[in-house]
Amino acid sequence: MAVHTPPQTDQFVELQANSKALLEGISPSYFSELREAAIREYTEFGLPTVRDEEFKYLPLHVLREGKYRFGFGAHFERSQLSTLTLADTDAFSFVFVNGQFAPEASSFENLPDGLEVSTFEDADPAVLTQHLSKIASLKGRLGSTNDERFVALNTAFLGEGLVIQVSKNKTIERPIHILNVVSSDDAEFVAPRLLITVGENAEATVIESFETSTGRAFTCPVTEIRLEKSARLEHIKFQNESLDSVHIANIAVHQEEQSVFTSTNVNFGGHSARNDINVWLNGEYTETWLNGANVATGTQVIDNHTRLDHAMPNCQSFEVYKTILKDQSEGVFNGKIFVYEDAQKTDAKQTNQAILLSPTATMNTKPQLEIFADDVKCTHGATIGQLREDAMFYLRARGIEKSKAEALLVYAFAAEVIEKIGPHDVRASLEAALFTKLA
Amino acid sequence: MLKITNLHARVEEKEILKGINLIINPGEVHAIMGPNGSGKSTLASILAGRSDYEVTEGSVEFLGKELLELDPEERAAEGLFLAFQYPVEIPGVTNTYFLRSAVNSIRKYHGQDDISAKDFLALVKEKANMMELDATMLSRSVNESFSGGEKKRNEIFQMAVLDPKMCVLDETDSGLDIDALKIVANGVNALRGPDRSHLVITHYQRLLDYIVPDFVHVLIEGRIVKSGGKELALELEEKGYDFIKEELLAGA
Ligand SMILES: Nc1ncnc2c1ncn2[C@@H]1O[C@H](COP(=O)(O)OP(=O)(O)O)[C@@H](O)[C@H]1O
Ligand SMILES: [Mg+2]
Repeated sequence: MAVHTPPQTDQFVELQANSKALLEGISPSYFSELREAAIREYTEFGLPTVRDEEFKYLPLHVLREGKYRFGFGAHFERSQLSTLTLADTDAFSFVFVNGQFAPEASSFENLPDGLEVSTFEDADPAVLTQHLSKIASLKGRLGSTNDERFVALNTAFLGEGLVIQVSKNKTIERPIHILNVVSSDDAEFVAPRLLITVGENAEATVIESFETSTGRAFTCPVTEIRLEKSARLEHIKFQNESLDSVHIANIAVHQEEQSVFTSTNVNFGGHSARNDINVWLNGEYTETWLNGANVATGTQVIDNHTRLDHAMPNCQSFEVYKTILKDQSEGVFNGKIFVYEDAQKTDAKQTNQAILLSPTATMNTKPQLEIFADDVKCTHGATIGQLREDAMFYLRARGIEKSKAEALLVYAFAAEVIEKIGPHDVRASLEAALFTKLA
Repeated sequence: MLKITNLHARVEEKEILKGINLIINPGEVHAIMGPNGSGKSTLASILAGRSDYEVTEGSVEFLGKELLELDPEERAAEGLFLAFQYPVEIPGVTNTYFLRSAVNSIRKYHGQDDISAKDFLALVKEKANMMELDATMLSRSVNESFSGGEKKRNEIFQMAVLDPKMCVLDETDSGLDIDALKIVANGVNALRGPDRSHLVITHYQRLLDYIVPDFVHVLIEGRIVKSGGKELALELEEKGYDFIKEELLAGA
């Protein structure tokens, strides 16, 4: 149950009030209504505390104590991209610096037929009004845990943003990469917003990366994704912000019949990092893959909440989340699966595994299955533990020293998730980053 | 090369090996045959250093060293190799990375520098060819989505790359069709030589048509109950393990 914390002075409410003029200048006029409604919704609850069930493990005091600024116009050189993990990915790339589109640092020449990418300012208003804030909404759904205050906070700053549209029957071979870069002297509040629509029987790959060039941030992105009938989307999210950043992301997905959605969610960065991935299955015979690979060191907290709404029959979902924890770090996994009364023949499989490499690391795991249909197959398994004995012995029996074998298996534990990523250069870069993160 | 003396071992409360004696000299090929559950894999696992088993009595000498006091990786570095009955899948680690780590770990143990990328590639290519393994399997994860036959060929491939002195093969023939069996046998035979010994563990005589042993031992209920030349394997094939058991009972 969400405890009602009366709003005191919340710097983000103030920040929003002070940013109105700026936001009005860069976005369609009807956005102001959305922003105003959203800030009211946010203000009702304000920043969560440890007393809020859905946020009880995520330390957010820095959002109260620290001072954040909101503003565009950061000085950014294209060369600063080179230090980023995924900068060299072969993709149509769209760079946002502190939430502001940086076309000069982007590279998106020759977009193929059937792919349209536009900023909110240039986008078809009909598409925006139809989907923005509509996909990222849990209103009227089962369950009592609808805590969407950070979706509201993001919408309260709705301004710059991107729409990716893939037309019916089109397969876009080259991935589309959104690089969200933080470049600041101090602490920046950033609210990236992305809308992806994949038309009937169309296919695409979208990569969203969040990395820090300099400084730190509170990044609060919202991504809304709609897959029409038989559409296929691979979505890769890589979060590697600086270790004093706060990252709270919401990804909301709507799947029509026979569509296939694959998500790989990789987190190495942030002091407090949180992802909510909510998938609404609106048609039969859909397939959903939710994969997660997380590594936390020092005092990092990495918190993933996933929610699958099996609202229709004959849908399949497969979820594998893995977390490696070192030092005093903390991991959180909360996996909700709701199977609605009509959703017969649902096949949902959830696996959550963690490896603790230090006695002071902690993992909090909560599978939450609520099943209202009778003819379903739902399984969940959680393991918190050690490295596989049989694999350990196999490596050592080939001459590999114990410490090296352990390191190899820790790496493999997360690499197994990264390995499933489609674009091979992304895979290779993330494997290298994993190696570095674990070193 | 290898000298096993009065080896007793148990797992949990159950005694599995009840006094094994076996001497293997350089260049010799020994076969151990026995029915399921007789303790063949237990013996192989104890030699390789698996910690699930408790040795309650006896000793094993390997090239002058007390084998049971070494860690598994030290045994491998000293030149012992176990081809697993059930090779382990390790998703996330490529075969190449795994093998190079193994080669370099063993080199480090002997005070040598890492193998060069070029030499490693040449070595791996040659041995993969010999085992008729597809080059793409090198960039795949260790044993992941390999067929039963590929896994067994991969074991012998690793053996060829690591160049051990004492090879222990645990039911490398099980689950292989005749073509795969020949490839495996050719691989093993190519490694035969005056300085290398083999201990071939099998349930069936079939493999021994291709890897012809110098000695055959019959293991029943944790004891070697009979030893002989290669003809003993044929006799077993013809008459079955029950015949030996009866013979033992009659003698008792
Ligand atoms: N880890 C173990 N835990 C319990 N029992 C075991 C274990 N390993 C082997 N055994 C038992 O020991 C006996 C010998 O097994 P094994 O050495 O695998 O035989 P073989 O390889 O000859 O078929 C069997 O009865 C088996 O059930
Ligand atoms: Mg066996």
